[in-house]
Amino acid sequence: MKLLPSRKKKAEADGSENGEVEAVAKPTRGERAAQAKQLATHHGTQSGIDVAGWVDSRTNATGIFTAMMSRHVPKGTNWFYTLGSATMFIFAMQAITGVFLSMYYTPSATQAYASITHLTNEVFMGEFVRGLHKWGASLMIILIFLHMARTFFFGAYKYPRELNWVIGVVLLILTTVMGLTGYLLPFDQRSFWATIVANNITASGPVVGPYLADFLRAGPDFSATTLSRFYALHMMVVPGLIGALIGAHLFFVVKLGTTAPPWVRAGRPKGSRPTEAVAAGVAVEDLDEVAVNGAVTVADAEPPAEAEVDAAEAEEVEAKPAEETEAETAAPEPAEEAAEEASSEEDGEVNS
Amino acid sequence: MNKNSKPGEEPRVKLPEADPRGYFEGESMTRRHVFTVASQAIGGVAAAAVVLPVVGFAVAPLFERGEERWEAVGPVEDFTDETYKQVVITETPGIGEAGKTTAYVRTGAEKYNEEPNDIIAVSTRCAHLGCPVRFVQAAQNFICPCHGGVYDFEGKRIGGPPVRPLDRFQTRVRGGQVELGPRYSVTNQLKAVRVRDPGEFTGGIWEFLYPPRPSTFPPPSN
Repeated sequence: MKLLPSRKKKAEADGSENGEVEAVAKPTRGERAAQAKQLATHHGTQSGIDVAGWVDSRTNATGIFTAMMSRHVPKGTNWFYTLGSATMFIFAMQAITGVFLSMYYTPSATQAYASITHLTNEVFMGEFVRGLHKWGASLMIILIFLHMARTFFFGAYKYPRELNWVIGVVLLILTTVMGLTGYLLPFDQRSFWATIVANNITASGPVVGPYLADFLRAGPDFSATTLSRFYALHMMVVPGLIGALIGAHLFFVVKLGTTAPPWVRAGRPKGSRPTEAVAAGVAVEDLDEVAVNGAVTVADAEPPAEAEVDAAEAEEVEAKPAEETEAETAAPEPAEEAAEEASSEEDGEVNS
Repeated sequence: MNKNSKPGEEPRVKLPEADPRGYFEGESMTRRHVFTVASQAIGGVAAAAVVLPVVGFAVAPLFERGEERWEAVGPVEDFTDETYKQVVITETPGIGEAGKTTAYVRTGAEKYNEEPNDIIAVSTRCAHLGCPVRFVQAAQNFICPCHGGVYDFEGKRIGGPPVRPLDRFQTRVRGGQVELGPRYSVTNQLKAVRVRDPGEFTGGIWEFLYPPRPSTFPPPSN
């Protein structure tokens, strides 16, 4: 993961001042080495060894945390982008309340209902914890669909994020499996008959259906094993899979970054010309000195003062090649693009 | 590398050129490849030694048939050919109420070309998705509360979403007592077939699309 340009420079400056540190990490190893050097300066050589620094220098925990939490996001990122995190936090809540509910629950066909009644009516705060778990389940499904709708309508499922869409769909299916298996556990009339019906829907699939239903029920009829099987799926198998897939989902979010909303103009890679520019015969050099906006734009993490300086520079030295002006932070648009962008509500964020 | 020579010297014994590189005549694998394949094979065997028993453990119930249970529901005199008598039997012991089911029992009626000595026990498990149906005296029909399935006096479907008639239980008389045995399904002509889950058709091509499960009892001979 890339450090922000300003911090990178700072890290290099620290290293060159301190001769001892250079032995710890070679400057040629790139940003990660620069970061490690910075850590060594703070935690090792100068202020003695502290526990956090000791762990950090061996795990790069701060670096990983920084890469995840301070990563670049596109211009136009808004509240809709929080739906995925919201779903994940609901999952965390379900996991926590679920673990605590299991402390009172008995997955036995003869005792399950009594244990649920006891938990709800007699255990301190039992009704509240069970309520969180019950309503959280519905909320999680709702949030997943909202998150999915955001991804769909913003086109965020497209290249290179197709795999994340696929993982997301698997997560949706697994969440519904959680709903199905969890529904049986209170073991009242509604749970029981809903499970009978769900099993028979499974069974009505041709060829494999009957065997799948037998697998779910652990036999040709609903039995004592059915409840413990659903309990095992609900408690161990599916949550484990969901946790692992959420990890993969997040990994891809950090690795690939997020997309800009569709109303923010897409970025143009350096050295390329849009179709209009090709038709008008505008050279790449003339185009690259202006801002490359949209998905690849960095507008969030730069200190405001520095950004202003950069912007001022960019305006002053229009004739210079793009590499020197740090064009990605801010710069004027070509006239026709600026006119289009003027109507965009997100336009004000460019210079942040 | 030839053992007899030092690096940079001509080998004392001229060995055949490896062609392709790394392979000598008659060899189909390099040493490295042999070890790679061997270690992967050993790893595979180790993984299979854990995974296969666990999977077998989980799917075993598909291949196990439970004990054949017969349960007495009352003396023969209790049942007539005019209407059904409701009885409760235990299909799965050990799980309390959840293992019980209701059946409707009558004797054979000439009206339906049945032997008078026959005992007919109709299951209340709806052939749509398994909700419990109820026999309504006034209408002489079985009616399902969930999705509106309706069956006639014999248990044949006359309305709603069910795909076949109601299941039946095998019956016998032992010492004057009517006993109910394993469940079986019937075709639309009331021909006995191996028990199906609700939602599955019986007869015709469906016999192949819903194959018999090893966990079920064979049907009684008609």
